[in-house]
Amino acid sequence: MSGYAVEVKNLTKRFGGLIAVNEVSMSVKPGEIFSVIGPNGAGKTTFFNLLTGINKPDSGNLLLDGRDVVGLAPEQVAARGVGRTFQNIRLFGAMTVLENVLVGRYVHIRTPYPSALARTPGCRREEKKAAERSLELLDYMGIASRAGELARNLSYGEQRRLEIARALALDPRLLLLDEPAAGMNPQETEELKKLIRALRTDMDLTVVLIEHDMSMVMSISDRIVVLQFGSVIAEGLPAEIRANTKVIEAYLGSGAAAGGGAASSDPATTESRAAAGNGATGEHHA
Amino acid sequence: MLDSLLSLLPQILFEGLLLGFVYAMIALGYTMVYGVLELINFAHSEIFMIGAVAGVEIFRSLSNIIHNGYLLLLVAIVVGGLVSGLVAIAMERFAYRPLRRRGTTNRLVPLITAVGVSFVLQDLVRLIEALWHNEFFLRMASVSDLEGSVTVLGIFIQYKSIVVIVVSLAMLAGLNLLVNKTRLGTAIRTVAQDMDTARLMGINPDRVVSSTFFIGGSLGGVAGVLFALQYTTISPYSGFLPGIKAFTAAVLGGIGNIPGAMVGGLVLGELETLAGTYLPTLTNGTIGTEYKDIIAFLVLILLLLFRPQGLLGQIVKEKV
Repeated sequence: MSGYAVEVKNLTKRFGGLIAVNEVSMSVKPGEIFSVIGPNGAGKTTFFNLLTGINKPDSGNLLLDGRDVVGLAPEQVAARGVGRTFQNIRLFGAMTVLENVLVGRYVHIRTPYPSALARTPGCRREEKKAAERSLELLDYMGIASRAGELARNLSYGEQRRLEIARALALDPRLLLLDEPAAGMNPQETEELKKLIRALRTDMDLTVVLIEHDMSMVMSISDRIVVLQFGSVIAEGLPAEIRANTKVIEAYLGSGAAAGGGAASSDPATTESRAAAGNGATGEHHA
Repeated sequence: MLDSLLSLLPQILFEGLLLGFVYAMIALGYTMVYGVLELINFAHSEIFMIGAVAGVEIFRSLSNIIHNGYLLLLVAIVVGGLVSGLVAIAMERFAYRPLRRRGTTNRLVPLITAVGVSFVLQDLVRLIEALWHNEFFLRMASVSDLEGSVTVLGIFIQYKSIVVIVVSLAMLAGLNLLVNKTRLGTAIRTVAQDMDTARLMGINPDRVVSSTFFIGGSLGGVAGVLFALQYTTISPYSGFLPGIKAFTAAVLGGIGNIPGAMVGGLVLGELETLAGTYLPTLTNGTIGTEYKDIIAFLVLILLLLFRPQGLLGQIVKEKV
């Protein structure tokens, strides 16, 4: 099994009078690392919520390998192999690290609850397999030694890793990462980049990520889509996005592209400055 | 006088323990549902009552067929637990779930529904019993081999009291295992902590909620059978007072907290029994035994003033 091909067609979502996502279309190829960027309030997280079934779109289609997932409940979308992490970490803090990952394995256990209560041999075997796989994933993410710890006692970086491990437990074919580098220092961001690239090949994934750290976006993405006020204003290779005047305007205001020099209007620079407040500095772009 | 009071103490503590276990088992139903849905299910007292009525009916109809009292009790416990569990599932399915579906965010709405469901269940049981037996005040049939007793360390212990304690302990231990060690228990804990994220992990919240109502309902039903066994007179309105006290126990222990419900139940059972016995003597009869119910709520009010999160609310933050 390889990563999902994601096809988004004319997706629209309104909240009252606000159009959060407006006629958005894009297509992501299997195995791509695809970034969604845009200023705050551009509709990026709403877009993820539509993809995972948390919100229902008002119109449009979402196809995973050609099968429409609009109208499916979040748990059904998850069962089809869509894993997700959150902008602000949402682990089950009062549960152990291992339990957090086990939760993701449960969709793959087929034994019904009564036999699970009776502890039948078949069910024990399944649960043992689930625990083994969960430990493998923790090991892959480098936090296996913390398996018995409560999730809320992990450090920030470890919690981010655990969230990814938990999403991977679903055996996803599409992994959605919502600002995975938020709050990370340049070195941690560098490690994260390596990890995401490794994930794509090791786990046969399509990766879609929302990110504000432009140096990371530019270096890791195969392709990028830019949202502003809920609409797509650009889509293309990193180099194309970097040179796109509409994108520069979106980030700096309309005067900048006309009057400003190329260096100061580079979205990478501004975003890095903006992100510096969170400790996410990084002017690594060439 | 003090000597005679002290010599009574072991017996009183034992009686308190019995009552406490019944409260604890009912309190678990309140606390589990609250943990998962943040709903105070006031109709849970009727689930308890239905278990008690089912127990009485089993004793009434099968005592001529099953002559072994313990076997009869086992059947009553299984049937009482199942019936209550299923009624709880139906209640959730037809009364609370439609409200959730509509996205009602006002917490008062399901609360009022719960009160309504409570009345409906009371009168439904009354109707059934009245049509069936022409009366709705029921007496638990006494079975001779459960009526024996022993005296240990000066405590008078009926065999059926031992059954009450053994069954309660087994159910509480079983619940602990279920919640902490099984897949279903883990799913319940995830939904209690964060329903949206649980769904993104592929967990169907409706199934988890149904299971929670079934588990809580069964515990309440078994508590009902044990209550009927111990206190023998049951009516469709018998659920109210034990129910509201068990709710008090759940709040006392920290609502949403499973160990808290157990501790709260035991504490309340002991307090009530102690107060009921000693207050009349200590106040020369000014405050009679009938004030024991007030004592329970007085304790709750005081506790809420000084420790609003409940006894274990702070120590164990985990819901369910």
